[in-house]
Amino acid sequence: MTATLVALIVLPALGAVAAQALGRGRSRWTAVVLSGAVFVLAAGCIGFGFGGIHRAAVGTLPWLGESVTGPLFGVLLDPLGSVMLLVATFIGFLTVLFSAAYLREGNREHPVGPADQGRYYFRLLLFLASMVGIALAPNYLQLFIFWELTTVCSWALISFREDEKSLRAGFKALLMTHIGGAFFLAALLVMFVGTRSFEFDAPAALPETQRRWVFLLLAVAAWAKAAQVPFQTWLPDAMEAPTPVSAYLHAAAMVKAGVFLMARTVGAGWDVPSEVAFFLGVMALVTIFLALSFYFVQDDLKRLLAYSTIAHLGYVLIGVALGALGSTTALRGGVLHIVCHGVAKATLFFCAGSIAYITGSRSISALGGLARSMPFTAVAFFVGVLGVTGIPPFACFWSKMMLLAGATDLPGAIGPVVIGLILVESLISFGWMIYIGQRIFLGAVTPVCAVNSDPPLPMSITLFVLMLASIAAPVVGVPLVRLIGG
Amino acid sequence: MGHDVLLGTSVALLVLGALASLVTARDRKLCGWIAFGFATASAVPVFAIAAGVLRSGAGPEVVLFRLPVLEASCAIAVDGLSAFFLIIAATICVLSALFSVHYMTHFPKDTVAKFYPVMLLFFASIIGVLVAADFLFFLVFWELMTLTSFFLVTFERESRTSQRAGRKYFIITHAATLCMVGAALVLWRTAGTFHFDGMRAAFAALMDGRPVVGNLVALLFLVGLATKAGVLPMGDWLPDAHPVAPSGMSAMLSGALVKIGIYGLLRVFCDFAPVNDSLRAWGVVIALAGTGSLFVGTLTALKQVDSKRLMAFHTIGQIGYICLGIGVGLYCLPSRPALAALGLMGALFHAANHACFKACLFLGAGSVLFRTGERNMDRLGGLGSFMPVTAGSSTVAAMSIAGVPPFNGFASKWIIVATCVLVGFKAPLFLLLGIVGMFISLATLASFLKVLGAVFLGRPDETRRVREVPWAMAAPQVVLAALCIFFGVFPQAALRAAHAAITSVSAVELPAASALAGGGWGLSLAAGGAPLGVWAPIALVVALGALTFLAYRIQRAGAAPVRRVDVWTCGEEHPISAVRYPASSFFLPFKHAFRGIYPTVEARAPAFPPWLRRAFDVDSWFYFPVGKAVDRGARGFSRTHVGIPQMYLLWIVAGAVAVIGILLIFVR
Repeated sequence: MTATLVALIVLPALGAVAAQALGRGRSRWTAVVLSGAVFVLAAGCIGFGFGGIHRAAVGTLPWLGESVTGPLFGVLLDPLGSVMLLVATFIGFLTVLFSAAYLREGNREHPVGPADQGRYYFRLLLFLASMVGIALAPNYLQLFIFWELTTVCSWALISFREDEKSLRAGFKALLMTHIGGAFFLAALLVMFVGTRSFEFDAPAALPETQRRWVFLLLAVAAWAKAAQVPFQTWLPDAMEAPTPVSAYLHAAAMVKAGVFLMARTVGAGWDVPSEVAFFLGVMALVTIFLALSFYFVQDDLKRLLAYSTIAHLGYVLIGVALGALGSTTALRGGVLHIVCHGVAKATLFFCAGSIAYITGSRSISALGGLARSMPFTAVAFFVGVLGVTGIPPFACFWSKMMLLAGATDLPGAIGPVVIGLILVESLISFGWMIYIGQRIFLGAVTPVCAVNSDPPLPMSITLFVLMLASIAAPVVGVPLVRLIGG
Repeated sequence: MGHDVLLGTSVALLVLGALASLVTARDRKLCGWIAFGFATASAVPVFAIAAGVLRSGAGPEVVLFRLPVLEASCAIAVDGLSAFFLIIAATICVLSALFSVHYMTHFPKDTVAKFYPVMLLFFASIIGVLVAADFLFFLVFWELMTLTSFFLVTFERESRTSQRAGRKYFIITHAATLCMVGAALVLWRTAGTFHFDGMRAAFAALMDGRPVVGNLVALLFLVGLATKAGVLPMGDWLPDAHPVAPSGMSAMLSGALVKIGIYGLLRVFCDFAPVNDSLRAWGVVIALAGTGSLFVGTLTALKQVDSKRLMAFHTIGQIGYICLGIGVGLYCLPSRPALAALGLMGALFHAANHACFKACLFLGAGSVLFRTGERNMDRLGGLGSFMPVTAGSSTVAAMSIAGVPPFNGFASKWIIVATCVLVGFKAPLFLLLGIVGMFISLATLASFLKVLGAVFLGRPDETRRVREVPWAMAAPQVVLAALCIFFGVFPQAALRAAHAAITSVSAVELPAASALAGGGWGLSLAAGGAPLGVWAPIALVVALGALTFLAYRIQRAGAAPVRRVDVWTCGEEHPISAVRYPASSFFLPFKHAFRGIYPTVEARAPAFPPWLRRAFDVDSWFYFPVGKAVDRGARGFSRTHVGIPQMYLLWIVAGAVAVIGILLIFVR
C-alpha cells in the first residue's frame, strides 16, 4: 500500500519528465496513459483501504530529524485525503484526455503546435503529482511543500501562452497565492516552535492564543489559495490559462487545496476557538455574495465560471466553519461539496472549452443558438448548470443539503441565518446560470455559432463521463465523507 | 405483488421507454407511438395499485434504501390521497401522450428527442412525488418534476418567448422549492428524520411548543406548494408557461402538474398539521388565497385573446375553487367533521374534474393550433363545421368548467359553494367567499362563450381548408369529454374515491361516505343526519331534453321563416374573416372596469451603484496601488546604489555611528 501511494506521487512526476523529453506528438498519449494509470491506482487504493486509515513514514531530514517529533515525510490515506485524491486524479485524468484533443492546431481560439506539447504536459503532470502529494500529506510540512509546488505549476500553466496578458495573470496568481504561502509558513513556525511537531493535531498542545493565531494564519493561506475575499481577484484573471487548465487547476483541484487545508485543520480534532471559526464562516458568506454580485457583469463565460467557483469554495468553507463550531454533518457536507462541485464545475469549464475550440469565442453576448450545431455540448452544459446550482437529484444538491442540515445543528440564530442566505444565493445563481445557458445555446443562431459539429471524440468522452459523474458523485462521495469526523 | 414491485415496474418501463424513444427520435410518429405505448404500459400497474388502495386501504411502506448521513430513507407508500392523484396524473399523461403522437409532427425545427423521453421521465417523477413517504425524496422527485417540465415547456428552441416563460417558471417554482427545503430542515431539526411520520410528530410538537416557528413552517409550506398549484400571486408563472408549451404538455401542466401542488397542500395541511386553532386560521388563509385567485384569474381570463393563455388564467381560477374547498374544509376540521369532509371532498372532486375538462380544453386548443397555426382567437372563426369532434368535446368541456348542469364542474362547484354557504351561517366570511365563487362561475361561462363563439361559431371560411384532426388526436378529447359527462351524471364514484383519500390522511374521525353523499344516481348531501341538498342530474337531463324537444316542436309548429344573408357592409366586398365579430371585442365594459386587476412587474438583473462596484474591485483600490507603491519604493531604494565607492564608505560610517549611538543610549 505504502509503495503504491508513493508511486502515485512519483509516477506523474516521472511522466512529466518523460513528456518533456519525448516532446512533440508522443507526449500527449504518454500523459494520457500515465494519468489514467494514476487514477486507476488511486481508485484501487481508496477501494482497498476503504474505511481504514493508512499511515506510513517514508523519510526524514537528517538535520531536522533530531529536533522534530514524528516522521517528517510519509503518506496518509484517510477518508478526507481519499476525497481529495479522488478529485485530483479523476479530474486530472479527464483533463489530460481533454487536452489531448484541445491542444491542437485546429483550436479556433488558441491553436497550439506540436512543439508546445512537451512543456504543457510537463507542467500538467507535475501539477498532478503535487496535487496527489497534497492529498496524501501526513503533516503540515509536507502539505506545505506540495502546496508551493502547485503554486509554481499554476503560474507556469497560466502563463502558457506567453503573451502580455497571460504573463501578467500568471504573475499575479503567483504573487497572491505565494503571499498566502508566507502565512502558511508563519503558521508552521509558530507550531514548530511551540510543539516541535508538524502533525495535523499538533496545535492542540498550544496555548489558546497561539492556537487562534495558527488557525488564522492557516485561514489566510487558504483564502489566498482558494481565491476567497480579500484575495479573490487573481482567479478571474487566471482564466487566461488554456481551458483544461482552468477546469482542473482553477475549479477542481488547486483552489480546492485551500479549502482542503481548512478541512484538514478542522478535521484533525484540535479545539478551534469558536470566534475564529465564526469569523471564517462570516468571511465565506461575504465571499459568496461578493462573487455573486460579479455574475451579472461578466461577458466572458470563463470569468463567470471563475466567480461561480469562488462562491462555491465559499460554500465548502462555510461547511468547514460550521464543522469547527461543532456540526459534523456540515463538515461532511462541505467536504462532499469538494467532489460534487469539482465534477460539475469541470463539466461547465470543459463545455466552455469545447465552445471556444469550435467557435473561437468565449463571449456570452456573441454566442447564441449553439444547441442546433452542438447538441451534445448543450446537454452537458445544462447538466453542469443543474449540477453546480444544486437542483435535485444532481450532485451539489446533496452536498448543499448536508451543509444546510448541518447548519440546523447550531444553537441560536446562526443556523437559520446561514440557511436563509445560502438558499437566497442558490436561487439567484441558479436563475442567472440558467439564463446564461439559454442565452448561449437556445434562441436564434448568431454568426459566431454558425458551425456544424460537436467537439472531437476525446472531448465528448470527457463531457459524457463528467455528466454521469455530476449525477453519480454523491454515490461515491457520501460513503467516504460519512467516515469523516467519527 | 407488492406495491414496490408494481411501482418499480412502472418506473422501469418509463425509463426504458425514455431510452427507446431517444433512440427512435428520427421518426417522429414511431417515436410518439413508442412513448405512448410505454406510458400506457406503465399506467396499468399504477391504476391497479390506486384502485386497490382506494378500495381496501393503504398498502405497506417499503424502504428502498437508506441515507444515514442525512437520516433519510427512500421510502415509498401509497395511501388513499396518493392513489387519488395517481389516477388523475396517469390518465392525463396517457391521453396527452396519445394526443402528442400527431401533434408533435408540426415542429419542423425541433427534434422530438427533446420531448418524448423527457415526458416519460416527467411522468415517472410525478409517480415518485406521489408515492414518496420521505420528505427529502419527495423534494428530489418534486424538483425532478419541475426540471423535466421546464425542458418540455421550453421545447421550442429558437423561440425567445418560450425560453423566457420557461425560465420564469423554473425560477419561481425553484424559489418555492427552496422555501420547502427551509421548512423541511426546521422539521428535520426537531424530528431527526425526513420521514413523513417523524415530520408529522415534529410539526405537532412545534405547533404546541413553539407556535411561531410552527406557523412559519406552515407558511413556508403553503408558499412552496401553492406556487406549484398556481395560486396567485406566486402562480404568475402559469399564464406564461402554458401557451408556449406544446399542447400535450399544456394539458399535462394543467391536468397533472398543478394538481401535484394541491396534493402537497392536502398532504401538509390535512396529514402533517395538527388539528387545532391555527389550522382553522390556515384554512381561512387558504380559502382567501383561493378566492382571490379565482376572482383575479377568471376576470383576467375574460380579457385574453390568446386561447391557451385564456385557459391558463382559468386554471388559476379553478385552482382557486379547489383551494376554497380545501380552506373551508380545514376551517371546519377541528369542530365540524361532516362539513370538513364535504369541503375537502368537493375540493378533491373538483381537482379530478378540472383535470378532465381543462386537459380537454387544452387539447382542443392544440387541435385548432395544429390545423390552423393560430392561438389568436381574433384570427379564428367558424371552425365548428370543419372540426365537429373538436368543437363538440370543447363545448362539453367549456360547459363543465363553467359549472353548467349536468356536467361534472357543476357537481363539484356545487358541493364547494354549498359547504361555504352552510359554514357561512356561523362564519359570515365563508358566505361571502361562497357567493363570490358562485358569481365568478358566470364570468367563466362568459369567457368560454367567447372562446366557443370566436373559434368554432360564425360563418365558416371555406378558403382555409381546415380538416378535422386525426383520430389519435380526437380520441383523447372525446374520452375526456365523456368523463366530464360521466362524473356529472354519476358523481358518486369519484366522491367515494375522494372520501377514501381524505379519510386515509385525516387525523379526525370523519363520517362515512354514505352518510355524507348518498343517493343512487345523483347526489344528496347530508351532514350529521340532516339533509343539506339534493342533486338529481338524470331528472334534470330528462327535463332539459323534454324542454328542448318541446321548443323544437314549437318552432317547427310556428313555421317561422329563417333568413340567411351576408353581413351588410355598405355594399363593399369583405372576406368573412374581416367581418366576423372578433374575440377581442367581447366584454369591453369588463375590460375597462377591471383594467388594473392583474398588474405586471418587469424583472431585470440587479444594477449595482458604481461606488459599490468600485468597492468590490479590490484590485483597483488596494492591490494595484500597493504593488505600485512597492515598485516605486524599490526604485527609490535602488537609487542609493550609485556605484561610487566613496558613497558606500559614507553609508558605512553613518551606519556605524548610528549603531554606536544606539548602543551608547540603550545598552550602557
